[in-house]
Amino acid sequence: MNQPRDFVIPGPVFCIGLAVFAAIYLALFLSSESQAAILVYMAAGGMVLLLNNMSELKPRLSEAIKGNERLCNRLAVAVVLALTAAFHADHYTLFLIGTILLYIVVVLGLNVQLGFTGVINFSCASFFGIGGYTSAMLLSKTSLPPLLALPLGGVCAAVVGSILLLPVLRTSGHYAALVTMAFALLFRIFLEVNDALGGPQGVPVRSMSLAGWDFGSDLVIGDLQMSFYVSYVLLGLVLLCLAFSFVRRIERSWIGLSLDAVRVDETASACFGVDVARWKITAFTIGNFLSGVAGALYAMMLAYISPANFTFGDSLIFLSILLLGGVGNSWGVVMATAVVVLVPEKFQVIQEYRYLIYSALVLLMIVFRPHGILPRKTRIYRPGEAA
Amino acid sequence: MSERILDCTALTKRFGGLAALNALDIHVDRGEVLGLVGPNGSGKTTFFNVITGIYRPTSGVVTFQGRDISGLPPQRVYHSGIARTFQRSRLCLELSIFDNIMIGNHKRLDLGLWNNIFRRSRFEAQYEEGMERAARLLSALNPDLVARMFRPVGDLPMIDRRRIEICRALVGRPSLLLLDEPSAGMTHDETRQLMDEILNMGSYSDGLTIVLIEHEMNVIRRVTDRCVVLNFGQKLFEGVYDDVVANPVVQEAYLGKDVE
Ligand SMILES: Nc1ncnc2c1ncn2[C@@H]1O[C@H](COP(=O)(O)OP(=O)(O)OP(=O)(O)O)[C@@H](O)[C@H]1O
Ligand SMILES: [Mg+2]
Repeated sequence: MNQPRDFVIPGPVFCIGLAVFAAIYLALFLSSESQAAILVYMAAGGMVLLLNNMSELKPRLSEAIKGNERLCNRLAVAVVLALTAAFHADHYTLFLIGTILLYIVVVLGLNVQLGFTGVINFSCASFFGIGGYTSAMLLSKTSLPPLLALPLGGVCAAVVGSILLLPVLRTSGHYAALVTMAFALLFRIFLEVNDALGGPQGVPVRSMSLAGWDFGSDLVIGDLQMSFYVSYVLLGLVLLCLAFSFVRRIERSWIGLSLDAVRVDETASACFGVDVARWKITAFTIGNFLSGVAGALYAMMLAYISPANFTFGDSLIFLSILLLGGVGNSWGVVMATAVVVLVPEKFQVIQEYRYLIYSALVLLMIVFRPHGILPRKTRIYRPGEAA
Repeated sequence: MSERILDCTALTKRFGGLAALNALDIHVDRGEVLGLVGPNGSGKTTFFNVITGIYRPTSGVVTFQGRDISGLPPQRVYHSGIARTFQRSRLCLELSIFDNIMIGNHKRLDLGLWNNIFRRSRFEAQYEEGMERAARLLSALNPDLVARMFRPVGDLPMIDRRRIEICRALVGRPSLLLLDEPSAGMTHDETRQLMDEILNMGSYSDGLTIVLIEHEMNVIRRVTDRCVVLNFGQKLFEGVYDDVVANPVVQEAYLGKDVE
């Protein structure tokens, strides 16, 4: 910013421009139905990313974003709010937005586990599900305020996750992966044979209500009629903001440093007092807690959940989002989640092949860009600090 | 001046049938620089690994500052005041210079969830203090690095990586510093420079005691007060440098394996 340049656009203007561009692009993408138009938008989006990568705009852009971090966070919230307003009556689009917001929370949790600490978890969809079933049961069997189901869903996921702690700590690498895979399969079978939880057919989930505000029915304010999903998107956004800033603060603290140290070199770190087991437990618990909280709200938004919503395949999708976005990078997670959720939903042609395409994409990424779309930068401890 | 800071008696470490350390008696006096030499595979690194708790000794006792530390986990050994570097530099290459140094400062960091996440003012005070410490250490070794504190260590040349390893070991103000071949991967001039810097660092941590594993006999001659020669996990000889090189048994052990 303080180096002389031919023409200097101030950083904040850059960021606002970027946000406006993103909002318009997403609005166009979300509102189009024709497969041809969607293909064009996807190609255009890809081109822009590619051009940006090659042009000299990129360093300026990343400088502008880095220098205006708080502004960028607010702009991202504003983009979601603008899209919600634009699609206020469109159930389907709002449901997609809500799904993205909650998926991001799950992948942020996975990021703490795998991205920061290197603890592998192939069962995050199960913890997402534990949150979901917790809220289904709490809302139908007790008269607790529904909002409480969110933290309790997180706590249940974290507590059930502690069963896995011993094997995850004792074994390393492939064995820990196998243990979590086995857990995912067991969880599915447990749900299917358990009649109290609805068995294979699943259970209905009552909707959220907050101080008289019922999330289950459409909102009417004056002449304005809005989809009931608007409420879920707003609450999901609040949840995401909390989760995002929580994960950010973990990263930018001695805790984040300790988690990284455990991932990179357990033995050397131990020689400097880093308590390896403590940090693996912390990371695993935090990640499962976030999955559980997100799952609790997701279940209410779906209104009906079954074992098929929380399969091993879903865990793989969460993992592939993390790999695509950039392991360790919170903004990468946000972008990759949007892409992975939206593209197969809008571009129906690939719906059937989506697992195939994800796996191909993940393989390509691992070969050509192993650190993801947005690789993680070295840690700074305060916003805007020079690297 | 002859207070024993570290005292190992009958220290033995077996890997299967191989005795990497065999009934070893070694002591280190406070404030001295002890050279640890010996042919490849003679057990020098294993000695460090056993002291720092990476391996449990098969038998024998390690006493550090009057306390029995044999078999303690590495974290406890670190907290008791021993820090080390690794033969093959083991920094976290993708982490920044500052991060790497702060890992060594673990004993001073407040690791509570509450203070780190919610009471940021507490964290920031510690952070400022950490920055100061890291800058002070770095400016004694290579002032250029102070301005590049948030660059990944992987971008740096070998000598700077070694310097950062030394900062990481010293930042916690240990009483005993274990250096495992700090010259590996560097030229003679760089080695000389680095050793001078390390000796000057002694003033950072008052009364620093050093055990130095080194193949470069020049370095051993210049910096050590006393040497221990290992061979097949046993103590072959102990004495000042001039006696070591003059000793026929030592010469034979070296000439038999590889010539220095
Ligand atoms: N973890 C291990 N498992 C089995 N054997 C080991 C292990 N670590 C070391 N050894 C063996 O112990 C012996 C001593 O090794 P050590 O690394 O201590 O030698 P060194 O004196 O440091 O050699 P160098 O000069 O090559 O660094 C060697 O024969 C080595 O193969
Ligand atoms: Mg060695």
